Amino acid sequence: MPAAPITLERPQRWDSSFDPEMTEADVDRLMTTAPFSAMKPENFSPKVPLRGILRHDASIRRYRAGEIVVREGDYGTSAFLLLSGTVRVVLKPGLPPSLLGRRESSRKGLIRLLAQLWSGLKEPEVGGPPQSKQDGRVGARRDASDQVKVFLQDIPRVLDEHRTATIAPGEFFGEIAALSRMPRTASIFVESDEAELLEIRWQGLRDLRRYDEALRIHIDEIYRKRALRAALRELPIFQPLTDDALEQVVARAEFGTYGEYDWSGAYKNLVQGSAGGQRQQEPSIADEGDYPNGVILIKAGFARVSQKFGNGHRTLNYLGAGQMYGLQEIAHNWRNPQATVPLQYTLRVIGYTHVIVIPTSVMEQVVLPAVPPAQLPPLVAAPGEDGAPAPPSAADASAKIGADVLEFLTEGRYFNGTATMLINLDRCTRCDDCVRACATAHDNNPRFLRHGPINDRFMVANACMHCADPICMIGCPTGAIHRAAFGGQVVINPATCIGCQTCFKNCPYDAIRMVEVRGADGEILVDKEMKPIALATKCDLCIEQVTGPACQRACPHGALVRMNMNDLDAFADWLKR
Amino acid sequence: MITFSKQRWLGWTIFIALSLWIVQLYWRHAAKMPGLVYLSGWALLAVMLVLTLYNGRKKIPFLPLFTSEAWLQFHIYAGLLTGVLFLIHIDFHIPTGWFQGTLAWLYVLVMLSGFYGLFLSRTIPQRLTTRGGEVLFERIPAIRRRLQERAEAIALKSIPEARSTTVADFYARELKDFFDTERNGWQHLFEIRTTVNRLLNKIGDLNRYLNAQERATMDEMAALVREKDGLDYHFSLQRALKLWLFAHIPLTYGLLLFTLAHIILVFAYSGGAR
Repeated sequence: MPAAPITLERPQRWDSSFDPEMTEADVDRLMTTAPFSAMKPENFSPKVPLRGILRHDASIRRYRAGEIVVREGDYGTSAFLLLSGTVRVVLKPGLPPSLLGRRESSRKGLIRLLAQLWSGLKEPEVGGPPQSKQDGRVGARRDASDQVKVFLQDIPRVLDEHRTATIAPGEFFGEIAALSRMPRTASIFVESDEAELLEIRWQGLRDLRRYDEALRIHIDEIYRKRALRAALRELPIFQPLTDDALEQVVARAEFGTYGEYDWSGAYKNLVQGSAGGQRQQEPSIADEGDYPNGVILIKAGFARVSQKFGNGHRTLNYLGAGQMYGLQEIAHNWRNPQATVPLQYTLRVIGYTHVIVIPTSVMEQVVLPAVPPAQLPPLVAAPGEDGAPAPPSAADASAKIGADVLEFLTEGRYFNGTATMLINLDRCTRCDDCVRACATAHDNNPRFLRHGPINDRFMVANACMHCADPICMIGCPTGAIHRAAFGGQVVINPATCIGCQTCFKNCPYDAIRMVEVRGADGEILVDKEMKPIALATKCDLCIEQVTGPACQRACPHGALVRMNMNDLDAFADWLKR
Repeated sequence: MITFSKQRWLGWTIFIALSLWIVQLYWRHAAKMPGLVYLSGWALLAVMLVLTLYNGRKKIPFLPLFTSEAWLQFHIYAGLLTGVLFLIHIDFHIPTGWFQGTLAWLYVLVMLSGFYGLFLSRTIPQRLTTRGGEVLFERIPAIRRRLQERAEAIALKSIPEARSTTVADFYARELKDFFDTERNGWQHLFEIRTTVNRLLNKIGDLNRYLNAQERATMDEMAALVREKDGLDYHFSLQRALKLWLFAHIPLTYGLLLFTLAHIILVFAYSGGAR
């Protein structure tokens, strides 16, 4: 007899509020405050009302003088609206790394290099208590909700030494970083004794932008001005355009966000739940067989290119930031208006994707006429007369690395790595020289596990991949996890890590570990409740070593490599090595 | 990125070219140079010392001293080159006397252990990968312990469930020793599966005396036997990959000590280098 189905409440958008403390009274107050007072509630969908957005996607935060609201270079999932008080935005060149909780990494000199010969003799994970080495001009305190706030001790000095601009009540900031998953472009701190800010998570901001035209125009204008023009200029297809032509493209470009910004948790659940069910849950951005509405540029995140195969879809490639979809079809149709073709592939979101769409009409009228013919993509190949499929196109990366490897990389989202640790198991003698070298380069503390998912004959080890899209960097309260100024490695500053586990829980690749730290005499450090103090640690790509990653240099058999997974040619060479 | 086959081709080419050059030098000048034996001896010692430094290089990965892969390639082909130097040094004659004989034997053993290690390093990883069930060597005892506990629990659970001791008796008689410790190490090295196949056959044979519930229990037990066998396979092969160095390195140091004594003796009884 079949078992009775288990029935559950269908998950709803606002099952989990951004801030459960938000009350109807707070919402009433916000509804009388600009810009919400000027918004028309009737323009909003009944399913996503304005009051609902304010109640469930926003939170009123109170800050004290000097407290840093956002840090330059951080990734954030929310935007802020200043309700009262004054905040200052630090203009270029910005605050020094030490004031932002970061460490200025530098290569070790000869003495420090040689000192590693005996420094590895001490106990593992020896370090001072957290914050013991933090810049003296910065302090940290917990607010009423037990959240850690980092503050600048000497505001007048900061104002003297840095160029700043004031943000007045009623102004938004952080909206572009929240919507497009770009790093924050400036640090912002509170100047007045107290300031009240409304923090809106990106889902709420997205809906406000969707239903309120004034806000949409405001955000779009900022986006076009700050991000779009520079992003387009970087792409070869737009480089032949004159400034005027580029302005036309910028003015008519659209942009959108798909998937979940903080996809790590959802990804972990997917992997633990059902293998293979992943693709069905990936929203599609464009479908094979449809008319090409425009060229889609991936601005942030990743997307999967797939093609119908049997009763399913075969992954052909994945696209990351700076890559385009749909150009070949649009260029084909422009050159062959008598024999147009639809989209040849489906584009699906992997986790989170932020895209810019250049409409077909703009491409045909402005962009394609300006591009030299040699720079245009080849025509779409027609299927053979006997119905045989067209030869593999440039979009088909499986021709380079094999379909199973491509599926493995895509399912595991390993293409996110810019320095993924790959181990050729046919060459690896399991000697652990890589682990020992890592430990030697980190005061006797290995920063990775020679263990991880395996596909056929290579392993993706549990080592930080230094992701192109670093989810671990979302939500760090002190800025301890950050990108190094030079090289872009994702590193943790142990002096400002407070062991909150945010990055540890966010990392979808199990590459961050919490380790119990010891004092100088080797004793485990404990807090007032006698619980061991654990800090986050991970591979830093040997940022301080003159030789680069010790693991790779230590492998006697050439089995281990740190690979940028967006360079599929290099990856294919490595597979064939 | 240079492919492994090109790397091999390059190594062999350099080795053969150098060897031919050294051998032709020997044939041309051996008769005219009575001090050639000293020259070949010092050259042999120098190459041996550089080869020995590889172990030290592994301890200081943070110094810019070429990659370990480059060192190993040098180690292999320079190691082969010492064979040519050695043959020239002994003038293609088998040494006589116990000291010279021991020294020569030590050299041969170091070479042989090196070849053996290279053979293992190039063949075992593929076997481990093909077998699957990748596991860290240090974790194997803990995993083995867990498997043993699971097997024992299954056997004990079957007694009240089936109201029979058939499975538990079989476990105590045939399987307990298998689960208690590492088994069939030598067989795994040579890909022999006789013992584990026999064990699985016995489990199959036992099925005719079991009811449906006990058969399900024994299926579970057979799965554990296969898992344990895979673990033993990894243990045996990974241990072999580690153990050969315990022969190669002490023999190398022994060879160096005997070489030092050899140099002292040569100079003590020859009146100094000519």
